[in-house]
Amino acid sequence: MRNVITYVIAFLFILTLNFLLPRMLPGDPLMAIYGNEALIAMTPELKAHLIERFALDQPLWQQFGAYLVALVQGDLGYSYYYNAPVSSIVLGRLPWTLLLVGTALIISTLLGIVLGIESGWRRGSRRDKSLLTGLMTVSGFPDFFLGILLLIGFGVTWGIFPLSGAITPYSGMSGAALMLDVLHHLFLPLTALTLCHIGASYLLTRNTMVTVLKNPYILMAKAKGLPDRAVRYKHAGRNALLPVVTRTGIQLGRLVTGVIFVEIVFAYPGLGYLTYEALLARDYPVLQGVLLIVAVSVLIANFLVDLSYSKLDPRIRYAH
Amino acid sequence: MPFRKALLILLPLALVCCLLVIFYGGRGQPSESTSYTIADSTGDWGYPSPYTHYSRGPGYVRMSLIFETLVWKDDSDFVPALATDWEYVEEENAYIFELRDDVTWHDGTNFTAEDVIFTIDYVKTHPNPFVTLIGPSGVKEAAAIDDYTVKLYLEQPYAPFLHDVAGTLAIIPKHIWEYVAQPEEFTDAQAVIGTGPYTLADYSKEHGTYLYKAYEDYYLGKPAVDEIKFVKISEEMIPAALKEGSIDAGDVPPEVVSEMEEAGFTIITAPYAWNAKLTLNHQKEPLSSKQFRQALAYAINRTALVEITQRGHAMAGSPGMMPPTSSWYNPDTPQYEYDPAMTKQLLEGLNYTLENGYFTKGGEELELELIAAADFKEVGQFVKQQLEEVGIKIDFSTLEAKTVDAKVEAWDFDLAVYGHGGLYEPSILKRVIMDKGFNSARYDSNQALNQLIEAQLSEMDAGKRKELVWQIQEIYAEDLPALTLYYPDWYWAHDGSVPLYYTMDGIASGIPIPLNRLAFVE
Repeated sequence: MRNVITYVIAFLFILTLNFLLPRMLPGDPLMAIYGNEALIAMTPELKAHLIERFALDQPLWQQFGAYLVALVQGDLGYSYYYNAPVSSIVLGRLPWTLLLVGTALIISTLLGIVLGIESGWRRGSRRDKSLLTGLMTVSGFPDFFLGILLLIGFGVTWGIFPLSGAITPYSGMSGAALMLDVLHHLFLPLTALTLCHIGASYLLTRNTMVTVLKNPYILMAKAKGLPDRAVRYKHAGRNALLPVVTRTGIQLGRLVTGVIFVEIVFAYPGLGYLTYEALLARDYPVLQGVLLIVAVSVLIANFLVDLSYSKLDPRIRYAH
Repeated sequence: MPFRKALLILLPLALVCCLLVIFYGGRGQPSESTSYTIADSTGDWGYPSPYTHYSRGPGYVRMSLIFETLVWKDDSDFVPALATDWEYVEEENAYIFELRDDVTWHDGTNFTAEDVIFTIDYVKTHPNPFVTLIGPSGVKEAAAIDDYTVKLYLEQPYAPFLHDVAGTLAIIPKHIWEYVAQPEEFTDAQAVIGTGPYTLADYSKEHGTYLYKAYEDYYLGKPAVDEIKFVKISEEMIPAALKEGSIDAGDVPPEVVSEMEEAGFTIITAPYAWNAKLTLNHQKEPLSSKQFRQALAYAINRTALVEITQRGHAMAGSPGMMPPTSSWYNPDTPQYEYDPAMTKQLLEGLNYTLENGYFTKGGEELELELIAAADFKEVGQFVKQQLEEVGIKIDFSTLEAKTVDAKVEAWDFDLAVYGHGGLYEPSILKRVIMDKGFNSARYDSNQALNQLIEAQLSEMDAGKRKELVWQIQEIYAEDLPALTLYYPDWYWAHDGSVPLYYTMDGIASGIPIPLNRLAFVE
């Protein structure tokens, strides 16, 4: 319960910041809320309408009230660049980012854990050393650089994968063919992101694994004559998982913004690319909308991580 | 344990849901007929209806495949569109347009003079970012003489009327739009019913793609290309996509032009329409002195600037702003050929003395602040270096683009590098010399220049107007409120299956994109 209250406080804090920041910018708050694009289209009637809508002529607390009421109704604001409600723009992009980031996160974490366990189990072996060196090298590259390398190699030079976008526009495909087309477009950006993120969960698992292996219960498990695999995964692996889960939770929020560069390189129509376009156009409503979505997703991710802790390690339930 | 299992099931399930949402949104169309694919690095330019496309050139171009104007242009002249013939009646200050009687809207309704009159009244009450019908370029009254003749009475004589209004204003169907109160929010299928050669089959905001189908009953006959697609491809990938054959046309950077030509692509070059300028704060000492501004112009080698900062892919600027390739260009414009000795002489005439390599006056060193957005970093550095060479100290900083705009607008600068387009029709001169806004030199202290700029706008005789525009260039170059540095080269590459060309003075009011709808029709 105490947990829930903490999250509510954090959520309110984010809302307040999101509300206050544009209003604290010097100059006309309408300009700050709507950016340059609105001024091109701004007629006196529109201005009066907007001032009323945001209660800009009212005291600050009433403005905050108007903001909250709009938010509850799902109104994230209106973008004058896109000439559309922010919520519909953000929701149109969200599935693509979730697909890319979600898949990358799952693959890189699972792969990282498995490789980390294997590596840590036989620390110092040839396999461990080569895995360590290889993954450290690959993860050292920035994600966009890996993306560019992959794009030039597999896209431009060998022509195996498409050059940009998330689907082949107007190809007339449907069903399984369309699904393959989406995966075909997903492959390179996904590989770039996965390779970049695998290193961290691998290293973390490997290190924890090394510590865990020193515990008496591992010796006990071995002494019971359990098969190697069972000791490795059920006894040592599970206990090595906790820090990785924490990290993955933190990553989930960061990945939405961390994916910006990869999405730009591949012109992938996700939230990262949207953020970049909104920055270029100074489209404040969209930026704020993305910010809010990201902040909320970080909160949700952390909440889920909190929940999963006690499942993974029952000791935590009693620690509070 | 159940939780872990649940997680293992839930996560993939969420992904499948994502995929489903995406599939549901992605509709495909079969493509057996002739199809033409155009690449664009931005992709989304808004719903291609007159009030919902983004108010930039590419948005207008996408709209212009569906909607037509009274007159249009090809690569060399005005050509008939919805009007077959037009005439200016000087005594009444009115244009008479004879309309085609064989035009149908995409929903089958006949096009008549009613639609034209309606459009003009509608745009007057619902301002459109591309056409202004109130003020000097306005239409006082629109009258239908018969079903296929309209007479437009102008507010005042306006020379660029055909170019800026009749050739830009998209005519909309009365029977649909008379019920539309909020045109900016009108985005259903009815909003893209026009008279043009193409109809919109699909538009995707997320993917930045457009699909157009030929309109079978088009009055000039069924268009030659059955299907036009716009797809989003990042700038750097366009050459590779052309070679791969997944697109037919796209803009390419100057560096790859020869490589693309060797690969068998047709390269077309845009007539110069855009200039980078060094704008001078003529409101402030010492730049308020004309001689001082001229002294700066002599110190900057614009030919070398093009070679070094643009790697030769540009043309050196003319101080009269209109590009030397323009039909309006005055070859007698003062050029300020690179001459540092002249700079020295002019500055000494203003009581500056050269001490330790820098000019000083009254014991104070001459130092100017130069600002530029990151895009112009190299240009700014070059200007700094050239001016310091002759002895003017420059404090150069690159700022975020909007900050440069704001500082220039507030006159809080000495020198600034920025750029703007539109150098086709001389009506731009008023906007970028006299009018307000950071894009303009906001120079109105020379009465003779002001009068000339106003006079050319209302001079209906083309020959006389050209004389006025010539004089403007001379005086502007003499007074030098800003110095045009260069005009960049812009290229498109295409596979030759459609004869793309650049429209005379740009599409409509001056859009430098080679996608004139007529190229897809004939």
